[in-house]
Formats: sequence, C-alpha cells, structure tokens
Amino acid sequence: MALPAFADIVREHQGMVFSLAWHYLHDRALAEEMAQEVFLELYRHLGSIQSPEHLVFWLRKVASRKCIDQTRRRAFWPKFGLDDIPEPSAKTRQADPMLSGALAKLVASLPEKARMLVILRYQEDLDPSDIAQVLDMPVGTVKSHLQRALGVLRSKLARTVGEIAL
Amino acid sequence: MSNLEDDLRIALRREEPAADFTERVLARLNQPAPAEPTWLERLAVLMRPPRLQWVAVAMIVSVVIPAATVEYRGERAKQQLLVAMRVTGTKLHQAQRKVVETGRMGTRL
Repeated sequence: MALPAFADIVREHQGMVFSLAWHYLHDRALAEEMAQEVFLELYRHLGSIQSPEHLVFWLRKVASRKCIDQTRRRAFWPKFGLDDIPEPSAKTRQADPMLSGALAKLVASLPEKARMLVILRYQEDLDPSDIAQVLDMPVGTVKSHLQRALGVLRSKLARTVGEIAL
Repeated sequence: MSNLEDDLRIALRREEPAADFTERVLARLNQPAPAEPTWLERLAVLMRPPRLQWVAVAMIVSVVIPAATVEYRGERAKQQLLVAMRVTGTKLHQAQRKVVETGRMGTRL
C-alpha cells in the first residue's frame, strides 16, 4: 500500500487507538508511543486485513493486547492514588471536567483486564459480545467483570466525591 | 442506564493525539530497520552496569557452586573411606583375635 493511503488510515483511526492507550495507561507520551507501534504493526500486516470492519477490529485487538502487555512487562501501576483525585466543585449532571478526570483516573486504577473491558465498553461503546471477541474471553466473563468493575468504580467514586448522586 | 455509565462515556470519550502523530508514524516507517548488532556490540552491552553486576554474579555462581559441589563430594568420599578403613581395621582385629584364640586352644589340646 502506498504511504499516502496508509496515512489516511492512520488519520482516520488514530483517535481510537490513541484513546484506548491513553485511558488505559494514563501517560500521554507512552500512549502515543504505543499507538505508533500499533500502526507500525498494522503496516506490516496490511495484507491480512479483509475489510474496513476487520481493520477496526484488528486495531482494537492489537491496541488492547499491547496495553495489557505493557502493564505486565513494566509492572506498571498508575502513579496516583485516591488522594490525588480532585474533588468536584459542584454536584452537577453536566459534563464536569473534575468528575470526568476523577472517573478516568479511577478507571486507570482498575486491574488490567477490567480496565480494558470498561474502556472498550464506554469509550468504544462495544457490546459484551464484541468485547469478548476483541479480548478472547467468554461473554459471561465479560459481563461479570463489567458488573464487578462498575461496582468498584461506584464505591470508589462515592468515597472520592461523597454524596454525588450515582 | 445509570448516571455512572453516562459519566463513564463522557470521561472516556475519544481524544486525538498530537497534531503531528501521523507524520511521526510515517517517519518511523521510512526509517531503515536497525542493523543486527555484532557479537562485539552484544558483549559490550553485557559489560555495562548494571548488567555487568549480573554477569559477575552469574559467573561467580557458575564457578562457586560446581567447585563447592566437587569439594563436598570429595569430603564425603574421604569420610566414607575413613569409615570403611575403620570397619576393616576392626574386622581384621577381631579375625586376628580369633586366630590367636584358636591357636592357644590347639596348643592346650
């Protein structure tokens, strides 16, 4: 494939791949590096891509795997705790940047698989069956992990921000 | 759907990487593949701290453990030989006593 055509693919999907890595790793430089590696790997495997849908599936799968591998390899754990999460200024249902920041950090503090499940569910809006395919997991496991992760997030968020209506 | 799920969708919405992201990916594609390091370069990497410390530890372990094993085996063999010699000495002594006693009895008869 010619480089200009490949550049179009990168531009079209860079937001998805970068955001998966960014929400997972919570390190912008590392997320960009990882997203670049995903596209470099894509370039080497372009011959095996069968359709635009397959391309999106492939990118999600490889990005997820690389993120999880990264945390295992470097024993990475987010360098912040609950104390670092800012208190929201108001109890509002509008897009509250403080609440969003707190939630994103709480998601980044979840265990590896649960973290990626939540990101695929709420960033990519995937159904449990789609997530199961991306992560090679049984659908039932995806559903139970998601429920448990939501419970953990709910309780941590309640502890962090107090009486916010969930 | 709970409010938490709405909040998660907002918190985890997609974001774009730096503006020059695509150009950087293409630049990496155009870079020549890194040449395979020669054996000398690989050796040089091993000689850098902290790897040098691990190399030293590995060398010490690979020399000390076999040496200690050999010494332990030698010491055990020595002990076994001493025990065997002691047993043999005792048996010889007993046999000698029997011979002497048999000789005396023969003389009396």
